[in-house]
Amino acid sequence: MRKKVIATTLVATTLVGTVLGLTGCGSDSRTADGKIHISMLQYKPEAVKAFEKMQEEFNATHDDIYLTIESPNDAMTVLRTRFIKEDVPDIIGIGGDVNYSNFLDAEMLMDISDFEGLSTIKQAYLDIDKNLEFVPLEGTYAVPYVANAAGVLYNREMFQENGWEIPTTWDEFMELCETIKASGQQPLYFGFKDVWTCLAPWNALAVDLAPADVCRQVNKGETLFANEYDDVAEKMLELLQYAQNDPFAYNYNDACTAFANGESAMYCIGSYAVPQIQSVNPDMDIDSFVMPGSNNADENILNSGVDLQFCVTADCEEKEAAYEVLSFLLEDSTIQTYLDDQNAVPCKDSTFKLPSSLDGMLGHINAGKMADYQDHYYPAEMSVDAQIQTFLLNQDVDAFLNKFDTDWVRYNRDIIRKVQEYEAQNAEGGNE
Amino acid sequence: MKKLSRNQTFMLITIPVLVLFFVFNTLPLIKGFMYSFTNFKGFGSYDMVGIRNYTDLFTDARVGKSYLFTFKFAVLATIVTNVIGLLLALGLNGKIRAKSALRGIYFVPRILGGLVVGYIFGYIFTYILPALGLGSSMLSSTKTAWIAIVIVAAWQAIAQTTLIYISGLQTVPADVYEAGAIDGATGWIQFKELTFPLIIPFFSINLVLSMKDFLMVFDQIMALTKGGPAQSTESISYLIYQNGITGGQFGFQSANAVIFFIVIVAISVFQLNFTSKKEEQL
Repeated sequence: MRKKVIATTLVATTLVGTVLGLTGCGSDSRTADGKIHISMLQYKPEAVKAFEKMQEEFNATHDDIYLTIESPNDAMTVLRTRFIKEDVPDIIGIGGDVNYSNFLDAEMLMDISDFEGLSTIKQAYLDIDKNLEFVPLEGTYAVPYVANAAGVLYNREMFQENGWEIPTTWDEFMELCETIKASGQQPLYFGFKDVWTCLAPWNALAVDLAPADVCRQVNKGETLFANEYDDVAEKMLELLQYAQNDPFAYNYNDACTAFANGESAMYCIGSYAVPQIQSVNPDMDIDSFVMPGSNNADENILNSGVDLQFCVTADCEEKEAAYEVLSFLLEDSTIQTYLDDQNAVPCKDSTFKLPSSLDGMLGHINAGKMADYQDHYYPAEMSVDAQIQTFLLNQDVDAFLNKFDTDWVRYNRDIIRKVQEYEAQNAEGGNE
Repeated sequence: MKKLSRNQTFMLITIPVLVLFFVFNTLPLIKGFMYSFTNFKGFGSYDMVGIRNYTDLFTDARVGKSYLFTFKFAVLATIVTNVIGLLLALGLNGKIRAKSALRGIYFVPRILGGLVVGYIFGYIFTYILPALGLGSSMLSSTKTAWIAIVIVAAWQAIAQTTLIYISGLQTVPADVYEAGAIDGATGWIQFKELTFPLIIPFFSINLVLSMKDFLMVFDQIMALTKGGPAQSTESISYLIYQNGITGGQFGFQSANAVIFFIVIVAISVFQLNFTSKKEEQL
């Protein structure tokens, strides 16, 4: 009997021990080997090779700091879970989107305005990040690293064979689609089964046709989406005429594969899709042009946003070491490593070798004629992407935009309240 | 050391299980319940908002739609699964050749992961069926996408349902059939008057299990439609995951999860009560 009791107690203690042990292993020893450990988590799993190279290079050249970079799948979920567990990485590499705004709002990030590397970044990108703050904050919280550009990718070979011209206005674009269709080829291909791909043409059209700060204007109660997005919605429907049969049956991978195999002449998506397309067809000659949403060619702006930026988390204890890592990441050779692997536009003001798939957008990039993705201001839980998909299926512009306006108020009430409080406080200061 | 009584030893044995259950089940439940009164995004600072999340739940069209879809889906899938499962069990319980091999083969879908099955069927729906000239993809239309999910979910669930029915059929003693045969009960009458009343306990456990599984449908939706097209196939679990974890609505979806938990408990209790009244004992 006694043996049994002992055995049971043993099992019980081991099990309880395991449970307690699990909660205890989050905090690792920072300086077990005398080095400062800096952990970094970045959200682009497709760039894992480039980051592995950077990590290796950094650790080979630094004796006092040990850097680990994680590139998990679905990093935003991983990151949120780690924030809950309070096991926060020192540096995070995220996109300049609503998640960044939310992290700022939740006071998770550190003010890094004293970081010297910031002066080498193009002002346009620092401004884009500044605009992502729900209410303007003191200081700088992110180093923009690379941007992406969205518009229309096209198959350069097909265009040259057929003598098609790159359109600069909406009418030219529609005419081109008509010509391609008449020649028996497929003008556009969409992967609308994955709802987020609906946002690619939507954003590219919206920067041409709606004011850049439309969301902020709506939050202040100055306008409605029904007025500003009317044209965008109509033009989405026009694009749909030139899509393949049943575009809602195919997902992003299907569309990339089809475009890579020459099944369509153009594909409305961002430059981030190029590596995926080239994984199917490495020899493909891809170029891109700015989405010509307006009939006035001067109004057509490149849709470009911060694709990857680095932030130091508020809980980071080794600020100096973190800055050292950031400086390393911003060296020209490190950035070039990233650019060679990924198809991206650097945010640093220096000379780099850009991929040929951005040729058609260089004019706009160099002139700084670009605006951020409007969906970076949409709250994730509102699922605007799914709403656009719904609208493209039932094709009712008014119902879609009315729902957009009602939902916007419902999902943003905490932010709208904040913005209006801020406006009331700063009304006399004339801060706007 | 005082000798423990037999009962005390048993109590001691349950402690580790109790601790594990409490830490991994009860504690998260209580925490989720607390979060349902906040505007927690899943990270960072948050405020208490009282019962706002609960009042919002009843006015949120998307949540309402997901409940409608989930129930429509669960009812149809439960019927399909149980009818086909029972038919298969009757067949596999008969005097046929290669019975054991067939039983093994029919159980294979259960072993495969839900996501794997989903992706394979996704490919079939998107490329193979249209290529065979069977119209466009079932997954791209709001009218047919949910039926496609029923097909996949039922295909996988039938395996376990069949297995439970087979074990049920084996509990019916042969002499009952012999006695029945003397009174002229064969074929359909035999099934209706003898077999079915005797396997009602298995019928009720199958109803409860499959209804509960289908109400919590997730894998198939993740792999087949991701809630689309036009948010027409968002199940409650999918919505809770999607908006709670990645959409920054942790607090609101916690409230949704609490309500959903109550709904599932209520349905299971009702089903068990309802079918237990119809059970026959030999």
